Amino acid sequence: MGLAILLGVFALVMVMGVPVAFALAIAAISAFMFEGLPLMVGFQRIVSGMSTFALLAVPFFIFAGELMLHGGIAARLIRFAAASVGWMRGGLAQVNIFSSMLFGGISGSAVADISALGSLLIPVMKEKGYDDDFAVNVTVTSSIAGIVIPPSHNMILYVVAAGGGISISSLFMAGIVPGILMCLLLACVARWIAIKKKFPTEPFVGLKILALSFLASVPGLITAIIVVGGTLSGIFTVTESGAIGAVYAMLISFFVYRTMDFKGFVLAVTGSIRTTGMVMILIGSASAFGYMLAFYQVPAVMSTFITSISDNPIMILIMLNILLLCLGMIMDMAALILICTPIFLPIAAGFGMDPVHFGIMMMMNLGLGLCTPPVGACLFVGCVVGKVTIQKAVKTIWPFYIAMLAALILVTFIPSISMTLPNLLIEK
Amino acid sequence: MNNINILRVYDTSLVYIKRLVNLISGLGMLVLVFTFAWLVYGRYILNDTPTWVEQLSLLLVITIGFLTSAVGIHERTHLSVDIFTQFLPVSGQIFIGLLADIIMGTFGFLMASSAIDLAQFSAAKRIPLLDISAAFRYYPVIISGALIFIFSLDRVVRTLNQLIRPTTINQENT
Repeated sequence: MGLAILLGVFALVMVMGVPVAFALAIAAISAFMFEGLPLMVGFQRIVSGMSTFALLAVPFFIFAGELMLHGGIAARLIRFAAASVGWMRGGLAQVNIFSSMLFGGISGSAVADISALGSLLIPVMKEKGYDDDFAVNVTVTSSIAGIVIPPSHNMILYVVAAGGGISISSLFMAGIVPGILMCLLLACVARWIAIKKKFPTEPFVGLKILALSFLASVPGLITAIIVVGGTLSGIFTVTESGAIGAVYAMLISFFVYRTMDFKGFVLAVTGSIRTTGMVMILIGSASAFGYMLAFYQVPAVMSTFITSISDNPIMILIMLNILLLCLGMIMDMAALILICTPIFLPIAAGFGMDPVHFGIMMMMNLGLGLCTPPVGACLFVGCVVGKVTIQKAVKTIWPFYIAMLAALILVTFIPSISMTLPNLLIEK
Repeated sequence: MNNINILRVYDTSLVYIKRLVNLISGLGMLVLVFTFAWLVYGRYILNDTPTWVEQLSLLLVITIGFLTSAVGIHERTHLSVDIFTQFLPVSGQIFIGLLADIIMGTFGFLMASSAIDLAQFSAAKRIPLLDISAAFRYYPVIISGALIFIFSLDRVVRTLNQLIRPTTINQENT
């Protein structure tokens, strides 16, 4: 009965339009009340869920992403991407995808990626004759690279949810090849559509401009080297490298590029606290919700249920992926990572799947959920930026979904795609 | 003072509250970033790690998280699912919206009152390295709960006012 209240209240208030973060908290508090547990403990769970040391990296990554958006780093990355791949068929779509790979690899946030690149590239794509829904779909789906290619604050959430026994360095390394693979598949789909619809090609700008645009983007790209390199080398913890990355992005924007003014800085700070508030309350609420799920022994019940259907690892992986895909459609990524990791990771680990491999599979899977209605943060932001209705975007997004699904299937069933780099570079 | 003037004063107060919260949170974010940079500098350059940074950062994250999430209610920046209510007639949408705001307000009230209990309960304990009362962890939660209650109440009042006297609101908006 208590579990029915927990899940029922959550579904009911979410459908009523209560923000997802608060729907989780309200459901958890309702279950606390039903069980006669002190309310104080419920709210304490929310506070303690937020005040985890490893999570301190989250606001730093968000702030660094906002500084890049308002400080001119994103614009220089786009220029470099345009010089590199703009000459291909559907050149601006390729630029969009390549920019996402570069920018997402620095900011670690898909929504920051859409805000930064979408607001710059979608209007240009529309002006050059690309369909508006195509421009939005390319931006939205390629932004998921930001979650898979390191650094990624969602990976930190996964490590925290898994109980801290997983190396964040391994997870960072494991995300590189799957992220690039996903972008390559998206680029193939974009090219196919571009040929079919006869979208334009940009002229090759020449090697000199290519080299100059690369040099201009180097200070921005160094942010990623600081964050990922600092963590991998063990010089900094992930939290420290996030803070150093944010300070570096600030210094680059103010003193090297000199594109950041006071107004832009205020916008960056305001944007970062807004997103931090949204993410942190989601984390706290998901922690209280997860506590009640554990109270009702849901992880153990789910584990028994899934393994009773089949003991074939391939079947279990397919089931886990389908479950995550369905949940990803109706819930936010951060909440799902915190709630589902303690439930699904032991099942996957039970048949020998590496937790790092499972983590990357989960990132890609839930990333796909960010692009699907009814709860798809990336799709929503992309449609707002591109001024396209969700209905219109969803009608033509299917080829991109198929590319992302193909990447997910490959990463799920070929562990070496994600595990080769960490096995080579990280000492166990 | 008539009702329209009261509403205007109320509106202005909410805007100032929102700005104050954003200012505190923004400064908190800057302090968070620079103290962590100071931690790295202290460790590698000064060979003297400032140990208080971690506890201060946790306190700042709680403050930023709770305060800005309450403002997010007012600015409607939180992720929510509106797709299902869109299928309802307008009156149904208003009713469900009103109900959702009442639920949010109740949640805010419960959050504030429980956080007061938590603050009282932990007042005698100290946060290690900062040497301040552990109740400081729950002050942002109290303020956040109170703000959620106020912002939700604001939305309820507005909806009811619009239902009872739609012309007054239209005049006020113009």
